[in-house]
Amino acid sequence: MTLLRKLQQRRYVTALVSMIVLVLLAVWKPYALIEGIQRGGVYSLIALPMALILGIVGIINLAHGEFMMLGAYFAYWLGVYTGLDPLVAIIPALAVFALIGAATYLLTIRRALKAPELNQLLLTFGLAMMAAQFANLMWTSRPLKPHLSYVYSSISLGSLRFGTYAFVYTGAALVLLAGLLLFLRRTRLGKAALAVGQNPRGAKLVGIDVNRTYMLIFSISIALVGAIGALFLTRHSVFPAVGSPFTMKSFCLIAMAGIGNLPGVVWGGFALGIAEAFVLSFRGYGGWADVVFFAVLVAVIMTRSYRRRVV
Amino acid sequence: MRNSRYIGYALGAALAAVFPLVSGAYTQQVAVTTLIYMTLALSWDMLLRSGQLSFGTAGFFGLGSYAAVLLFLNVGVNPITSILLGGVFAGVVALLVGLAVLRLRGMYFAITTLALASIFTVVVRNIPSLTGGPEGMMLPTCVFNGNTAQVYWLVLAVAILAIGMSEVFQHTRIRLALTSIRNDERVAKSSGIHVFWYLVFVFAVTSVLQGIAGGAYAHVYGFVSPEGSFNANFLLLPLAMALLGGVHSTWGPVVGALVLGVLGEYLKLQIPYGHLLVYGGIIVLVTLFLPQGFVGALRARVRQFQSGRGS
Repeated sequence: MTLLRKLQQRRYVTALVSMIVLVLLAVWKPYALIEGIQRGGVYSLIALPMALILGIVGIINLAHGEFMMLGAYFAYWLGVYTGLDPLVAIIPALAVFALIGAATYLLTIRRALKAPELNQLLLTFGLAMMAAQFANLMWTSRPLKPHLSYVYSSISLGSLRFGTYAFVYTGAALVLLAGLLLFLRRTRLGKAALAVGQNPRGAKLVGIDVNRTYMLIFSISIALVGAIGALFLTRHSVFPAVGSPFTMKSFCLIAMAGIGNLPGVVWGGFALGIAEAFVLSFRGYGGWADVVFFAVLVAVIMTRSYRRRVV
Repeated sequence: MRNSRYIGYALGAALAAVFPLVSGAYTQQVAVTTLIYMTLALSWDMLLRSGQLSFGTAGFFGLGSYAAVLLFLNVGVNPITSILLGGVFAGVVALLVGLAVLRLRGMYFAITTLALASIFTVVVRNIPSLTGGPEGMMLPTCVFNGNTAQVYWLVLAVAILAIGMSEVFQHTRIRLALTSIRNDERVAKSSGIHVFWYLVFVFAVTSVLQGIAGGAYAHVYGFVSPEGSFNANFLLLPLAMALLGGVHSTWGPVVGALVLGVLGEYLKLQIPYGHLLVYGGIIVLVTLFLPQGFVGALRARVRQFQSGRGS
């Protein structure tokens, strides 16, 4: 009982501290706060499908960002040939990348499930390199971006004037989080997936088709990240190397939240997005913003490993 | 038996040393890049023998490049010494980083080392007064004024150093320690091996080799830049070479580097923008279908043949 109360108290304290930090930031650097919430949306949105694979299939997909990059290219070329808006292209992207995900699973991942973890890492690293080089070969390294007028919408709030479109990412991240949680807790497949994630042998014993669950989760995740690529394209340009930083940032968020903790990924994404925007807001030091993620990654992983005292 | 091994070494080294006398400048140039990648492939494999998958080769390679060039330009050290000191610098950084990072295992270690190259890039890019910032630095002249035969002997010496280190690791008690750590860390620990210090030692030594390779590369091409010196190719190519040849041995990475170095040059001429796709493909295919590589598969075949004849 006392332990429970302590835990609640600690949570309460964390919430209070973060509220104070946010209010101070809102007064001191309101633009950094707005920008941070928008950035954080992109990060958590992209990290969620990776968290799903890592939590349930137990494989770290180093080609995650590359699938997003391919999704963005898909939306771009669909737009060029058929005039479809990237936002509409999300729907065909879902379908196409579900198939690509299933094919990737059947051809490669499935064979590596029983292999040592190092082989899985090497395999997905190889896939990432193939995807990036394929894009480079097909479409060169030139950044591509469609012209969309609606992304430049902005509003004025008192003396502040800022772009509103990027809040789409924040919204999408929250919707995706809610959707995934509902899927995992309410649907049959979701519950099966959770069971497989916790204990594949136990799940098999009670009659769950583990292999099929792995395949479905993998292709759902790739479908989502492909569709996110289309959404990403509305505001960012696409080039072969655009995906790889997101792979690392996504892993960083998942390591921070702990494997299997989806809400933690989203909160972590916002926290890091705001921290990055804060560093960026200092003129002349903006270049250091990229280090924020890695510094946090290293710090968090280190504290965790020391707390567990492994080896 | 033991003597015949040394005779083999001497013959191989002598053959490699007279190579420039019978070949043209272009062939020597191909050999130079091959030997640099061979050093990286070997050093990557030396750490892998302890069961730790590092994605940090490009990071320490770039550090060595920058350290060598800065020492040469600012302190006026002669090129050869600056290359060696560049390696020492990379090794010292690896020692400090390793003290923290080597508490991690598996994917946490792999991804943290993958992040290292990005961190180094950001640092180098953001101290323009020292490192030339995003544009990098040019050297007034290349080493030996670009005489390819002498340059070849220089990188050959670096590669022989790597091969020598690797053989020392393979034929002393270090091999037993590393193999035992790879197979089961708990058992290794209970048989009196200081796991952590062994790993730090190997991590530092392999980073020295990577730093020396980086310094040599920088002096050969007379140029360093954040995107060029920390390029992901210095990770992708050595990995593909070591995996193709066969990991956990000296001759696997050497054979892999020779095969891919020559084949890669041909591919570069055939598909200028997409030849790296092949390297990604090799990593995927080898991890899936030939985890022991060429040399490993050949050894298994020979052993099978011998045991078949014996019975």
